[in-house]
Amino acid sequence: MKSGKFWAWVTFILGAAYFFIPLIATMEFSMRMKRGEYSFEAYRVVLGDPRFQESFTFSVVAAVFTIILGVLLVVPTAYWIRLRLPQLRPVVEFVTLLPLVIPAIVIVFGYIRMYGSNSPLPFLSSDMGTNALLVIGYATLALPYMYRAVDTGLRTIDVRTLTEAAQILGAGWTTIISRVILPNVLIAVLSGAFLTFAIVIGEFTIASLLNRPAFGPYLQNIGANRAYEPAALAIIAFVITWGCMSVIQVLSRFAPKSANRPN
Amino acid sequence: MADPFLSIQHVKKAFGPTTVVEDFNLDIERGEFVSFLGPSGCGKTTVLRMVAGFEEPTAGSIIVGGKDVTRLKPNQRNVGMVFQAYALFPNLTVAQNVAFGLKVAGVAKAESDRRVAEMLELIKLPQMGDRYPYQLSGGQQQRVALARALAPKPKLLLLDEPLSALDAKVRVSLRDEIRAIQKELGITTIFVTHDQEEALSISDRIAVMYGGKAEQVGAPFEIYNRPATKFVANFVGTLNVLEGVVSDAGSGRVRINAEEIGLKGKLNGSKTGDTLSLALRPEAIALGPRPGHDATLSGEIADVHFLGSVIRVRVGIGGSKISLDTFNNSSTPPPNVGDKAEISFSSGDVLVLH
Repeated sequence: MKSGKFWAWVTFILGAAYFFIPLIATMEFSMRMKRGEYSFEAYRVVLGDPRFQESFTFSVVAAVFTIILGVLLVVPTAYWIRLRLPQLRPVVEFVTLLPLVIPAIVIVFGYIRMYGSNSPLPFLSSDMGTNALLVIGYATLALPYMYRAVDTGLRTIDVRTLTEAAQILGAGWTTIISRVILPNVLIAVLSGAFLTFAIVIGEFTIASLLNRPAFGPYLQNIGANRAYEPAALAIIAFVITWGCMSVIQVLSRFAPKSANRPN
Repeated sequence: MADPFLSIQHVKKAFGPTTVVEDFNLDIERGEFVSFLGPSGCGKTTVLRMVAGFEEPTAGSIIVGGKDVTRLKPNQRNVGMVFQAYALFPNLTVAQNVAFGLKVAGVAKAESDRRVAEMLELIKLPQMGDRYPYQLSGGQQQRVALARALAPKPKLLLLDEPLSALDAKVRVSLRDEIRAIQKELGITTIFVTHDQEEALSISDRIAVMYGGKAEQVGAPFEIYNRPATKFVANFVGTLNVLEGVVSDAGSGRVRINAEEIGLKGKLNGSKTGDTLSLALRPEAIALGPRPGHDATLSGEIADVHFLGSVIRVRVGIGGSKISLDTFNNSSTPPPNVGDKAEISFSSGDVLVLH
């Protein structure tokens, strides 16, 4: 027993070291911008750079629109699959997994060919159209995470009975989804939303090939041309991602207790 | 029935090749409490769901208050329903749950608040408005579900096995409460259950269902004492079934083992030599002779079960075992297994099953 515990600790410490040593090394390197002393100079430079603020704001706005699109697309779909078309579940699950196996570059080249300025749907001929396409691309990339998060949330409630209870009280589909289903899977939707946010903030391929001023291409550009700032940016991106994860954890504590199952 | 409030006419429901409900007919008067009683898979819930609008009949029609609602959606029917699994909205408080239907109907806030308070008073939970469903017991949740169903003043109340998920004690008190509320409001109610005691104790009428059909519709007393079919007799209450052979059709004599009993007027055209299934309720049988009992059979005590106030005795007669209950009397010791025994009953209590 004691020996088992010892090896468990050894494995844990090795695993933790594998993750934390590079992080600590990056952090340490990012603080050596000023010779002979540790400082947050690289962070000051990065945070003070107007391109950082512009690209970060652009990506945050894109993330918000991606989340809205994702929620509008995924919540009714996952709900309908659970309620009326359970036989289509494997098909939908397969489709939502496709973005994990099809590289983003394939998707974006598909977009460029399909929605170029000579196509019947010339999204790429205007900035607004390109931004819309970017958001659609991001929603596609986030689909596996958003769908699974929402589907897991729906699994914790009795979708069919709650729907019927609302229907018999006179509610139509919009009321049922907005006032019964969505509030009860809100934590799951928020989990999906934060995962989407984390994906959008760091995404490079689609934004770069569509030539949008997003945070991903900015990160890459800084990484290629500077020494200490990329390390500082990596730490900032890491903090943002982990911040999102922490928010998910905190929010999950406020999930409504399921009371729709018999004792 | 001159003008039924709810009329279910020749309703049929098939799911693919499987027919779940076959030619179901029932008229229900305004304010009546009717139970659908039957085993799992008999189609009782499917009929209820067709009345609610969750299932569309394959054939037939459903008329409520003179209006054909067969093709209407559930949210257009003004019907209240209580589900087995409570189905309270977990994100809403008790008061918000009760107010849900009123809000959907666009009732003004002041009127809605007044109605919610009235409903919470009705279910005796006036202080629970701010609680969430998970903070309530199962019985309380089901009472809130009842209040929520009644708040929009539905024309019809449907109860889909509302007591099945509750423990025995709560079940009994809540069923009495449901019946009292139903009587107070005078709302036409359909109650689905597989529990015969529940159905017998609170219904005005019972529709006993089997194989997608109503085997018998009648008052509880009638269903219990005059079952129309073998299934109803077996399903409702405890029943002793004896095989007998008509020894003389003219005089109505039937032989059971070596003894004969007279069943004149009950043989329904059976001929001499026909085999009949004869049924007797345990409470119609006495151990030993009793005034008014004109038939006796002899046997041997097979089992004695002491149940407190009652002693259940099983008497072996030929190949059958007959159950009967005697009250526990401290001055009379229970019979012993293996003792010779004579049972008596009134031939008028014998049911000839077809």
